[in-house]
This record gives sequence, structure tokens and C-alpha cells, in this order.
Amino acid sequence: MTIKTSVAGIGCGLLLAAGALVSLPASAAGSAAEGAKKNSMCIGCHGIPEYKTAFPHLYRVPKIAGQSEAYIVAAMSAYRSGERSHPSMVAIAKTLTDQDIADLAAFYARGGAR
Amino acid sequence: MTSDTFAVSGALRRLVLGGLVAACLGLSMGLAHAGNIVLGKEKAAQACVACHGADGVKAIDPSYPVLAGQYEDFLVRALTDYKTGARKNAIMAGMAAPLTKEEIANLAAYYASLPGPLKIIKR
Repeated sequence: MTIKTSVAGIGCGLLLAAGALVSLPASAAGSAAEGAKKNSMCIGCHGIPEYKTAFPHLYRVPKIAGQSEAYIVAAMSAYRSGERSHPSMVAIAKTLTDQDIADLAAFYARGGAR
Repeated sequence: MTSDTFAVSGALRRLVLGGLVAACLGLSMGLAHAGNIVLGKEKAAQACVACHGADGVKAIDPSYPVLAGQYEDFLVRALTDYKTGARKNAIMAGMAAPLTKEEIANLAAYYASLPGPLKIIKR
């Protein structure tokens, strides 16, 4: 009885853990039209041809229009969690919800088409 | 008066010197990043195309980025950060670890040279 209960407990725990793992990536469906309204924080750097970030290294910020939607979601989620580091990208990503990230990814993946 | 003039010219001299040093640094950084496209293509065929696609556009997984036409210096940064561990990805860490600085520069030059869908949109 006690063994059965603990087995059931472990089973439930595993299910919960699996659920947590599955729900980690931002899974919201993105709207390009909504993304178009949310990109004011992006265009100051990513909207300027050849724009360079200076800290902590000097290089041109990547072109993001036309990039893969799932990759943009992965990149923004990694910045938000702190797994990927860049001071301004981390700060901006932390203000975004899963839905914001999905909308921005949909907008940029379509090359800016609303 | 004389000491004032001297102070100003000293400051000016330091400014000019600083500018020259900065310019030289910038130039050498630029040179360090000048990769060889042909060698980059060879390396890409061995290391990158299996996942990122033959053209650097159609990757085998949608969560992998388009590389074709991306800025060269950004690609250098990404590969260097994967190599040092500053940027974490289990697959890319393994791919970038054996790459030399030159190989990274060559790969970046090659992918930056390819045509692709990446572009800048202003708003």
C-alpha cells in the first residue's frame, strides 16, 4: 500500500516534471500584425543598416527580418532566461511575454509583412 | 599664457595620438576579420551544411537560424562565443570548439557572401 502510494507519487512527480519541460518554450501562436505594433524597442538597433553594438564587443547587430520564426523565439527566450547574454537584449527580453515574443517572431520572420 | 598654450597643444597631441591608436586598432580588427570565402565554403561543407542546409537558408530544424547573408562580424561573434562558452548551445559548442580564429573568419565570410532572405526593415 505504502509502496503503491509512493510509486503513484513518483509517477505524478514525473508527469509534472515532463509537463514543465514541455511548457518551457514559448508556445504561443504569433501574430505578425500584433508584432508590428510591438517592435519599437527593436528598430533603434535592428532597423538601422550596419548598426553596431559596442559592448561587450564591437560588431554589427544581426539582420533579423527574414530570420526563422522558431529561431527568433529561441533566441529571445534564451536572452530572457539569461542563458544568452547581451546587456541590452537581456533587458529588453525580460520585458516581453511569451505572446510578445511570438508576435515579434511572426512579424520579423515574414520579413516585416503585417 | 605660454603654459596655457602648451597645455592645450599637449591635450591636442594626446587626442590626435589617441585617434591614431584607435584607428590602427580598428584597422587591425578589420583585417583580423577578413575571411577567405573559398576556404570558408570548404569548411562549411564539412561542418555546417548538414544542419544549416546547403545554401545556409533551409536548415533541417526550424529553430536553426538562417546564416546566408548575415553580417560577417556577427557570425564571427556567434561562433567565437560558442567556442568560448559565452553562448551556450550543446550542438554549436561541439561544432565551434575545434575551429581556429581563421576558420571562424572564413566561415563568416562565406556565409555573409551568400544570398538569402535576411534584410533590414526600418519599422
